Amino acid sequence: MRAAVLPLALVLAILASLMIGQLPVGPMALLHGALTGDGTGALVLKVIRGPRVMTAVGAGAALGLSGALFQTLFRNPLAAPDIMGFTSGSGLAIVVAVAAGLTLPVPLVAAAGGLVAAVLVALLAWRPGHSTPPLTLVLVGLGIGFATSALSSFALTSLPLNEAAEAQRWLTGSLNARAWDHAAQVWLALAMLAVLALSQLRPLEALELDSDLATGLGIRADRARWAIAAIAVLLAAAAVAVAGPVPFVALMAAPVGIRLARARDLKGRLMSGAMAGALILTLADLAAQAALPGVALPVGVATGLFGAPYLLWRLSREMKKGGL
Amino acid sequence: MTRLLPALLVLFLAVAASLVAGARALPLVEYARAFAAYDLANPAHITLMQIRIPRLLGGLVAGAALGIAGTVMQTITRNPLADPGILGINAGAAFTLLLGGLLLGQPDAATVTLLALPGAALASALVFMLGGGMRGDAGPVRLTLAGAALNAMLLSLVSAIVLLRQESLDVFRFWVAGSLAEAGARPILFMALLAAGGGLVALAAAPRIEALLLGEALSRGLGTRPGWVQAAALVAVTLTTSAAVGVAGPIAFLGLIVPPIARRFAGSSLRMQLLVSALLGAALLLMADALGRVVIPPSEVRAGIMTALIGAPVFIWLARRVRSGAFG
Repeated sequence: MRAAVLPLALVLAILASLMIGQLPVGPMALLHGALTGDGTGALVLKVIRGPRVMTAVGAGAALGLSGALFQTLFRNPLAAPDIMGFTSGSGLAIVVAVAAGLTLPVPLVAAAGGLVAAVLVALLAWRPGHSTPPLTLVLVGLGIGFATSALSSFALTSLPLNEAAEAQRWLTGSLNARAWDHAAQVWLALAMLAVLALSQLRPLEALELDSDLATGLGIRADRARWAIAAIAVLLAAAAVAVAGPVPFVALMAAPVGIRLARARDLKGRLMSGAMAGALILTLADLAAQAALPGVALPVGVATGLFGAPYLLWRLSREMKKGGL
Repeated sequence: MTRLLPALLVLFLAVAASLVAGARALPLVEYARAFAAYDLANPAHITLMQIRIPRLLGGLVAGAALGIAGTVMQTITRNPLADPGILGINAGAAFTLLLGGLLLGQPDAATVTLLALPGAALASALVFMLGGGMRGDAGPVRLTLAGAALNAMLLSLVSAIVLLRQESLDVFRFWVAGSLAEAGARPILFMALLAAGGGLVALAAAPRIEALLLGEALSRGLGTRPGWVQAAALVAVTLTTSAAVGVAGPIAFLGLIVPPIARRFAGSSLRMQLLVSALLGAALLLMADALGRVVIPPSEVRAGIMTALIGAPVFIWLARRVRSGAFG
């Protein structure tokens, strides 16, 4: 019973996102459009909202899976690519590439930016002879986030106004003007990386329990850790490449999903993280567009507004448990 | 007094750098002449009096204010990572100020600048409460993340407003990067009074804050009422941060970097630390501003971006030590 909650909610959210908007369509028109390929239903599905909603679902799932992987790997609910500065690294790389007039493919630029940020965080948090506590990674990641946002605002102040407006949208996280190739791109990346993530299930399971145990089971702990972290960074970068560094989705997805689905085993938890991420991003985009009539806010504004209170609540809970 | 001397010397050098650095090289003799016989037809005099002097004054006010704010925050929360920028107080001040400025269309007027006060007050109360910072028992991680959350939320609100009014982006993107370049247009004198008020509150409360650090029970025994001391600290932080934001926009990390350096110069007395922080804060901001003017001529990097680029590595360096026992 519980396992059906998330898929059902996701389907409902997708349907609602398809129907609500400047040009409202009813369920029958949507069905008619899907079956016959003409009418307003088909127009909405094919051109207006179909690609946007599919991009939202794919990017949200990628962010959710990325957050679930990090949180499992570091055994810490605060470990997420958005908190640790990886998504802002990707976002900055994209803005810099656009400002410099480079014609590299956006996903590659995003992946490079995210990986550079992640390696920087790992290196700067590393102390010879000590194991790195996850909270140090989180704090160092925040510091990297400060540096990237300073560079981003430098880019914003040196660009001409129309490009600055575009860059501001990008840095906030937006699903505006998404086409089918964006959706295809993020889904392809998600599929490949999800398969890779599933191949690391056993090492991840062992690492979550104990890295000594993992070594005992014949797993090379450090190598597995790096591989899983790289997969998670790339997942986040794939989402940033189509939607910008949307804040807090990766942080919230896994805890929300696991609670809704009551998932216990690792695979179930990762899956519910991905589905919850898709659900959150789809609903946030719907809310951002419908909040003010006539104005389409970027989705990052909505996730920022309800993600921040979540983070505060999570902090006070961790505090009570004595984790901070 | 001898403890203040090194800081005064640094400030003197920073003032000199601030007057000299820039796209236009001014002959030294013109500095004297501009004061003795100001000549409106002389471009060197105009550069000095209309651009460099207001920048210098703005830097003195904003830098000193942020130095004091940082020292008060780090002391009362016992947290080496506390800073008005990191903990979202800059963002609170900037948010209400910008909101008023956009609605009234005049972000730099003195009356509008007063709108920074409620935002800063609310943000500091919120972050101290949520972060558990008031009792000083919150770990640095929690306080910093609470600040990050507050920053993110306010930033979302601000970008919603900015995106609703496209024309405001042009003002906003420069404003939010924090700089002394527009100090001439800002109500410097008014903000200086505000900052001085905050500084005086901090100086007056300093012995009580020190008593509070001994522990709540002991400080009560010494006749200190913790609630009042904390409120005074909040007032001091609010006044100084608002003044800095009003002059220079949100400038982060100055309040992070200055206090630990000030402690080295000033020794253990909180009053002396506050005075040295004010001097060093002004010096550091003036130097960041001067540096930003010369790194990529003829354009310039805004002072807020320079302090962030200097401050982020310092933050990371401090963060590395947080869990290794250096801060308990």
